[in-house]
Amino acid sequence: MANSRNKNINAKLVLLGDVGAGKSSLVLRFVKGQFVDFQESTIGAAFFSQTLAVNDATIKFEIWDTAGQERYHSLAPMYYRGAAAAVVVYDTTNQASFACAKKWVTELQEQGNTNIVMALAGNKSDLLDSRKVTAEEAQVYAQENGLFFMETSAKTAQNVNEIFHEIAKRLPRAQPPQNPSGMVLMERPPVNGTSSSCCS
Amino acid sequence: MFGTQARGEVSHEFQPPLMQYWRPNIYTRRANIVVKFQDLYGFTVEGNVDDVNVLNEVREKVRQQGRVWWALEANKGANWYLQPQISSLSEGIGVAALKLSALANSITLKKLIRKGIPPVLRPKVWFSVSGAAKKRSTVPESYYNDLIKAVEGKVTPATKQIDHDLPRTFPGHPWFDTQEGRAALRRVLVGYSFRDCHVGYCQGLNYVAALLLLVMKTEEDAFWMLAVLLENVLVNDCYTDNLSGCHVEQRVFKDLLSKKCPRIAAHLEAMEFDVSLVATEWFLCLFSKSLPSETTMRVWDVLFYDGAKVLFHVALAIFKMNEEELLMTSQIGDVINILQRSTHHLYDPDDLLTVAFDKIGSMTSTTITKQRKKQEPAVMAELDQRLRRLNSLKMDDKPDSPRE
Repeated sequence: MANSRNKNINAKLVLLGDVGAGKSSLVLRFVKGQFVDFQESTIGAAFFSQTLAVNDATIKFEIWDTAGQERYHSLAPMYYRGAAAAVVVYDTTNQASFACAKKWVTELQEQGNTNIVMALAGNKSDLLDSRKVTAEEAQVYAQENGLFFMETSAKTAQNVNEIFHEIAKRLPRAQPPQNPSGMVLMERPPVNGTSSSCCS
Repeated sequence: MFGTQARGEVSHEFQPPLMQYWRPNIYTRRANIVVKFQDLYGFTVEGNVDDVNVLNEVREKVRQQGRVWWALEANKGANWYLQPQISSLSEGIGVAALKLSALANSITLKKLIRKGIPPVLRPKVWFSVSGAAKKRSTVPESYYNDLIKAVEGKVTPATKQIDHDLPRTFPGHPWFDTQEGRAALRRVLVGYSFRDCHVGYCQGLNYVAALLLLVMKTEEDAFWMLAVLLENVLVNDCYTDNLSGCHVEQRVFKDLLSKKCPRIAAHLEAMEFDVSLVATEWFLCLFSKSLPSETTMRVWDVLFYDGAKVLFHVALAIFKMNEEELLMTSQIGDVINILQRSTHHLYDPDDLLTVAFDKIGSMTSTTITKQRKKQEPAVMAELDQRLRRLNSLKMDDKPDSPRE
């Protein structure tokens, strides 16, 4: 639990990316430490929350895991509106998913919160034999666009916690109030220090 | 249980678990342990002892309803609820009497459907009251088989997406984890994607078609139910291109929530919680991913009879049933948890349907249609504006091929 010196920060985080890139699997790994071979396809979006303690602050991520199919993109603004962070996910074994990730980055740069912390996740890095997108290529793109980049594997858990920790570290500490004025804020300590939930 | 059978034939049959199986003994009652079991449609349910008791009571009510339906069949004939063929009868008193009896039948039917169609009769009644039978009757007998044969081996963006989603549709379900189950679901979805290329395949339809297969027993009937659902029951363009129909429904729903549950609507608005965050999935999957399967089926019983307005009734009811708790929330996570917990534990369909129809108050299909007309221009403008904004951005990395 955060002590009194710690800041408690609520951060809305959105996952965007091509269908089957592994967005839900990354979240499931991060929130529940689990991996399943066949993750139910997400319709609309699924909500999760997870709390992380980083240095001087406790960050409660409110995670929106969005549906990947292109026609669902028209719903995305509802999920990235006001987001403090975004993880744009592509599948390292699928070049088209990398192109799709770039489109998301462009859209977020234009339409999203200007201070948004953006991460690029090259997922399925465990599938070495079928790799189509090199780490170098993605790294260059990430640098040019001011994102930070990690290759992840929801299956082996490689870099999954790391990417969320890195986001937590990079979040601006002075968060604008998340609730509109006039709201009564009820600070309820999370049960067990870490709470998680999902909505499928 | 899941033997290989010819395409289009009955390919699966779920045996409801024996009642004694679930009846908790005194110890489980005390311990309040989590019980796992399979429901009527083969889904694994995890619930506490109270949930099991509720399910047992519901099962008993279903049996009683079954007896009412059998009695009516015995009294009025097996197809008493089908539309009477007035034109085929002689004129005069016969017609008047028939009209009266048809009216009486339709009132009886409406009431009965609200109380639930017995699972055994569900395929037949759905097929008839939804209009699927009529739709089916307008094409040659061999339509479905011809379609499936014609599209076999064809690869399109839709078929690729379907193949991707097959193992991700109700994973863990005993039938959809088999090759036969997936192959049947694939044929229905692929077949439909060729029937309507504007819809093609939209994620979400996999869940809807899967449940239709479980209920209808034959692929062909499931296919026609999917067709009537998308073409006649639901609002147009719910699943096409940019889901414009779905956007319209969400706006109509927000308006209705403000009218029917003003306190909740005001509270959530103050929290900047957009109800579409949760309701979109309800409307696209027709509650199949949120409610227990038997409750979903009860919602669909009414949906196929009364039309798409039922979705609004049910969605409003879910909010209404949790009003007091929702008004206490200050964080969006809490709102979602309350709604999610509530929907996952709605084992008694009557609890939901009573609120949906008796407490929400009546809404006519005409009113809903008017509301949709009102919202359409704004939705179209918004979608168009988004598209133009995105097109104006520098897109250096346009994929070479269509994405869907």
